[in-house]
Amino acid sequence: MFVLTTDAVFPSPMPHGPLDGVKVLDLSEDIAGSFCARLLADYGADVLKLEPPVGAALRRMPPFFRDDPHPEKSLFFLAMNLNKKSATINLKTAAGRELFRDLIPHVDVVVESYRPGYLADLGLGYADLETINPGLVMTSITPFGQTGPYSQYAGEEIVNYAMGLIMSISGLQDREPLKHGGFQAQYEGGLNGAAATAMALFMQGNTGKGQHIDVSITECVASTMMATQTMYPFIGATQPRRRASGSNFGHPMACEDGWIIVQTGGGATWETIANFFRDPRLHEERFTDTAERNRNGEELDRIVLESISERGKWELFTEAATSRMLFGLVQTPSELAECPQLESRDFYREVDHPVIGKIRVPAALFNLSLTPYQYTMPAPTLGQHNREIYLDGLGLTPRDLTVLRQTDAI
Amino acid sequence: MTTAKGKLPLEGIRVLDSTYVFALPYAGGLLADMGAEVIKVEGPGRPDVTRTGGYSGVFAENDLGEDWWNRPSTYNLIHRGKQSITLDMTDERGRDLFRELVSVSDVVMENFTPRVMRSWGLDYPNMRKLRPDVILVSNTGYGHGDGPYSGYPAQATTQEATHGHCWVTGYVGGGPAKAGASFVDFLSTWTALFAIGAALRYRARTGLGQWVDMGMYQSGVMFLSEYILDAIANGREGDRIGNRHPWRAPQGCYPAAGQDNWITLSVGDDAQWRALCRVMGQPELASDERFRSLLGRRENHDALDEIIAAWTATRDRYDTMHALQAEGIPSGPVLTGRDVHYDPHYRSRNFLERAKYSPERKLGERMFLSRPYKFSKSPLHIQGPSPAFGEHNGLALKELLGVPDEQYRQLVEDVIITTVPTTGEPSPVVPQPEALERGIIAAWDADYRERLDLDSL
Repeated sequence: MFVLTTDAVFPSPMPHGPLDGVKVLDLSEDIAGSFCARLLADYGADVLKLEPPVGAALRRMPPFFRDDPHPEKSLFFLAMNLNKKSATINLKTAAGRELFRDLIPHVDVVVESYRPGYLADLGLGYADLETINPGLVMTSITPFGQTGPYSQYAGEEIVNYAMGLIMSISGLQDREPLKHGGFQAQYEGGLNGAAATAMALFMQGNTGKGQHIDVSITECVASTMMATQTMYPFIGATQPRRRASGSNFGHPMACEDGWIIVQTGGGATWETIANFFRDPRLHEERFTDTAERNRNGEELDRIVLESISERGKWELFTEAATSRMLFGLVQTPSELAECPQLESRDFYREVDHPVIGKIRVPAALFNLSLTPYQYTMPAPTLGQHNREIYLDGLGLTPRDLTVLRQTDAI
Repeated sequence: MTTAKGKLPLEGIRVLDSTYVFALPYAGGLLADMGAEVIKVEGPGRPDVTRTGGYSGVFAENDLGEDWWNRPSTYNLIHRGKQSITLDMTDERGRDLFRELVSVSDVVMENFTPRVMRSWGLDYPNMRKLRPDVILVSNTGYGHGDGPYSGYPAQATTQEATHGHCWVTGYVGGGPAKAGASFVDFLSTWTALFAIGAALRYRARTGLGQWVDMGMYQSGVMFLSEYILDAIANGREGDRIGNRHPWRAPQGCYPAAGQDNWITLSVGDDAQWRALCRVMGQPELASDERFRSLLGRRENHDALDEIIAAWTATRDRYDTMHALQAEGIPSGPVLTGRDVHYDPHYRSRNFLERAKYSPERKLGERMFLSRPYKFSKSPLHIQGPSPAFGEHNGLALKELLGVPDEQYRQLVEDVIITTVPTTGEPSPVVPQPEALERGIIAAWDADYRERLDLDSL
């Protein structure tokens, strides 16, 4: 049995995407939950963001368009909420909670990222919602998960990285562990939420059975630490950060106009790599195998840095590819915005936002042959779809709507 | 068409996993956790690079044993719950058997270069002829198509620079840095799971398969969306702020009692700042002009770091976390690959799961990262240990495909299939005391097996 819902509540913009027909309520105010629900929307689900009357917290997060901290101009909110609709709802009011319950029979998925137990305290936990809709998939994405001694602890990006092991091997041995830039942990939580939700939806389609999915953001970060974790139950050892000196090779190295990075392996032999850097000393025995390079790291770094000091990063990048080397260059955000490879993959889409105007936004995470990524609408303005959802969908009257607004329920 | 009806999401789904290194192989392991039957295919002369140890892992007990290629740590983490077969794809018989396996598989995963799959007649249009509703998942460094880098070789370690992450990672005032290991591999792992789940659901409703074309580069760039938008809208190139936060302050990673122990904390508003001052036993700091407002705390971050570090340096890192969290301040210790095995929260969630090996594998019992999501009605578990090289040749070829005994013997004789790789060398083993001295490892517990209560070998 598959739970079919009426299109009256969320009319589909167009039939598309592998998740076509899936209806999602997105209660999340943060990056992780919003990204999860956006991925579902990107690949065909109809997603309604339910925001408190003041707007989701993400609306207040920088960067802002032209640095104007206007509630409709958060570029972070824009990026995480493409292809969604928005209605306001105040779950702290009885009327708001009733509206939420009324929506539940019409949907397949609820995405949320509140403190574990918060929704249950309001009578809106999975056990409550499941009695209304047994096929419901509820995806909860939190810093430490729904259970365990730290489940009520406050999370932050740096804490997720620290407790997710990655900081223990990032940075230098003679300094403090180093955090990854940006909000990788939040994105990881969102992507895992979407993956788990898609699997649960596949099962729901086959069995009619829903699930409560518990995603821990810290565990997402830890899941990238396969060599670090297994070193302990295999040889009892702990992986270190890299040495302060003589360990630059394999990490970003300065060239004439930026930084490049090189990795051994793949299709290139050491001889190829030595030729690429054009210094005959690299053919000496002290550099030809990994252990020797490790021992003579300071000398290796010196030779390579010297050999690239007057060569440009793009020239090096292209030439390395010709030699079949595993090679990268450190790109800047504006270089990424102009990247011809991303262009060829149709990665960016131009969005026409009612307040921001036209802007190119990172869009397609991957390509699908039959039901590709489709951009359907910009991130919604706050409560943009209140009338559509509450009047057309749930059949309230305009008078009901004004009363609900006046009492801060929506 | 196979339909899953069981308790696990992917029961009844067969996955042909012809992938190497980390990204998709790990996705295969996670699909096995969800109940899929996953068949890993390797060439007799092309064993997975994770089998050779080195950067990708260590050999159990630092002992090469009689079958070193089955003993590395990351190999055993990644391939849990799979079957292993070998097929020489450079021989037409190997390719034919692969085609037969495609015809009985729901999902096929590969990460060859576009040129290789075409030359074998195993690109998507051809694969559809073998299995019309197949879901093919391809993962390459830059994605298929006619883009300038589509043919470039790539692995995650160097892509971390190209997809922009190194630009925004690094100590304040320092150059770009890498974080973690093979970071973007895992973004592709999870992207594959999402795409496969969605494509399976679509196939269940329509009977139609499709081709999932992933580029690791694209996944990595997606995770920097806000930096790119800041560049587009505001002309800002992002900067390296180390352990600081773009708007919260103070935030950092501070020393704690013990060797190489660290504690992180992050203060978001005035109330949390006052609470931090109270917990530090310095309530008078709260009214210090320099730190009273968020803007002041940002401006005087260096001075604040000194005050905080002086307080944390002599304290137990866990005590500091509990004291700060009791006041609602985000805080947590930097945990290592050792710590994760003993932390009470990870333990209570059974985040690390055990896999037991049969006696002939001489690996006893090991613990592995499980997965960062739990399903309330489908308890997911590691379904079994990683297989030995070619362990399931007979099962897959004789029982599943019905290859006659005589033909099977010929395949063995001609090394189209094998249980011993024909190429490859184990990376040198460095005994733990020497590794410690050379800085290859940070610490070592000789009695880790007893401490973890792992079954004997």
